Amino acid sequence: MIIAISAVVLASGSLIPTAPAAEQAAQRQQLIEGAHLWSIYCNQCHNARPGSEFSPAQWDAITMHMKTLSNMPAKDMRAIKAFLEFGH
Amino acid sequence: MKLKSGQKPHRRRTAGAFILSVSIPLFGGLASTADVAGVEPLRTVQQQIDKIKNDEAAEHRRLQQDERVIQQLEQQLRQQQSRPGALAIQADAVDVTELKADTAQLQQIQKQLTTSISDEQFGSAMSRYLGAHQFTWNGAVAGSFIYDRGNNTNTFALTFEPLVLYRLNDWISFEGELEAALPQGTDAKFGLPIAMFQLFLNDYLQLNAGLFDQPFGDWYEAQSTLWVNRFITAPLLYGAEAIVPSSELGLQLRGGLQWGALGQDIDYTTWVANGPGFDSALPQPVVGQTLNPVNNIQVNTNGKAFGTRIRFYPFPLDSNLGRLELGASTYDGKWLNGNWFKSWGVDYAYLNGNLQTRGEYAQTYRQMPAGAGADNRQGWYLQLGYFLQSIALPQLPLELDRHIHNLELLARYSGVNQHAVVADEISNVPELGSSGSTSIFAPHSREIALGIDYWIEPSIVWQTELDIELPRAGGTLFSFNGARSPTASPIGATSNDHAILTQLAIGF
Repeated sequence: MIIAISAVVLASGSLIPTAPAAEQAAQRQQLIEGAHLWSIYCNQCHNARPGSEFSPAQWDAITMHMKTLSNMPAKDMRAIKAFLEFGH
Repeated sequence: MKLKSGQKPHRRRTAGAFILSVSIPLFGGLASTADVAGVEPLRTVQQQIDKIKNDEAAEHRRLQQDERVIQQLEQQLRQQQSRPGALAIQADAVDVTELKADTAQLQQIQKQLTTSISDEQFGSAMSRYLGAHQFTWNGAVAGSFIYDRGNNTNTFALTFEPLVLYRLNDWISFEGELEAALPQGTDAKFGLPIAMFQLFLNDYLQLNAGLFDQPFGDWYEAQSTLWVNRFITAPLLYGAEAIVPSSELGLQLRGGLQWGALGQDIDYTTWVANGPGFDSALPQPVVGQTLNPVNNIQVNTNGKAFGTRIRFYPFPLDSNLGRLELGASTYDGKWLNGNWFKSWGVDYAYLNGNLQTRGEYAQTYRQMPAGAGADNRQGWYLQLGYFLQSIALPQLPLELDRHIHNLELLARYSGVNQHAVVADEISNVPELGSSGSTSIFAPHSREIALGIDYWIEPSIVWQTELDIELPRAGGTLFSFNGARSPTASPIGATSNDHAILTQLAIGF
């Protein structure tokens, strides 16, 4: 998990260069939070599956399914989704 | 070659002129003699001279003809010698033209890439290509081998559960699951466990409508999927003698929110549905009869059931205390006209690093008709698992070490208490998720399950499970055996049993 978060921290430095600084910082924070939540929330019921297993479009549908089953707060699911789709 | 071929005719002409020049003076000297000897010899000489001239002329024509042929051949030779060079030049010209075209095309592509297509634009183009509506398949498949010592049965089994997910937009989606299994016999059986529309009304409220897994406890919704269940079988209270139905047809409202720091959440699910139903194949209701997995069309307006489930997460993620979930569920409705079915349960799940544990206790009350005694049931399970991925084994070979790190060791204890079971409903046929052991159908069934999971991928697992059935004595056995009323007989001690199951489950 530490590796995943570190990778996100390093990679998120090259987030969309056109985004304003504040927005870029928020996106970076969301990714870090998503990596953290992904490793715990998903493992609570089953092994966490890496983002590379599905395309962003598939994750859009799968995270809605998981949101239903887990009832997790919407902002947490958005962070996990951003993390899963990051790097595609 | 040119010079040699030209020398020979020249020498012939020289020789001919020499003969002629010598012959004329000779013949001139002979003429004076002819005056003496006669005219006839001179005529003969003249004929010879004419013949020589004719021969010389013919020779001259042949020489000219040969020279023309030689010139033609020499010209053809020059053409042949010059042709490969021309072809090469022509080929080079074609290559240069194609290269220029390729270069121009490459430059155009590079220009497009560098100047006009950004990541966002490419993503947008891909999104347009894929379309706004998203449709994807997930699900699971599992194949297993089951051996039960008590029944002396062994068999292979297979189940396939594709899950269809359809996302219209950010707030509307649909999911449906099909189930295909191969029961005893020669044909497949199919089921429809889930078919549900989902409306995400806001961050805290979601409306679902359709056929859904019973949100009672964690088992049906979160743990029953083939590759998610750490074991091959279900805990007894959700197995062959389940104490709450597995599916419902109705409406749900659900959502969750963070009440404290990150990780401190609370969520809820509340639903109204057709409610519970019991085995309608029996001639009359009886204590201990099994629940229907779902009730379809229900015209009895009193039959609706209401359920609520709340989960609470006390620990913030940063506390490093792990993730603890505490849950409580209720499910109440009328199963037969005015007869109540009431249930409640509490559960927990805890995850901390490689350790995961979960457990549940639930009990139900069923009001029987005609003043018969209540049909009460209780069930529970406690499960523990430990992943060996961080165990240091430096003394082992690297390859063996890697395999051991993929293992998860598991133990589970589960049980059910109920007043009676119905002989007509007891099935000794093993199927995927059940060993078919007769001991499972005891009114006071107890089971210890030990398992080893080998995780090939996060969603692909090879599981092996040993079930030790330790039923307790007591309870009643009802048997219809074709009659309209059951006969009751007490159940004494029930034999212990062992079963071994192994399964490959793939989540996709």
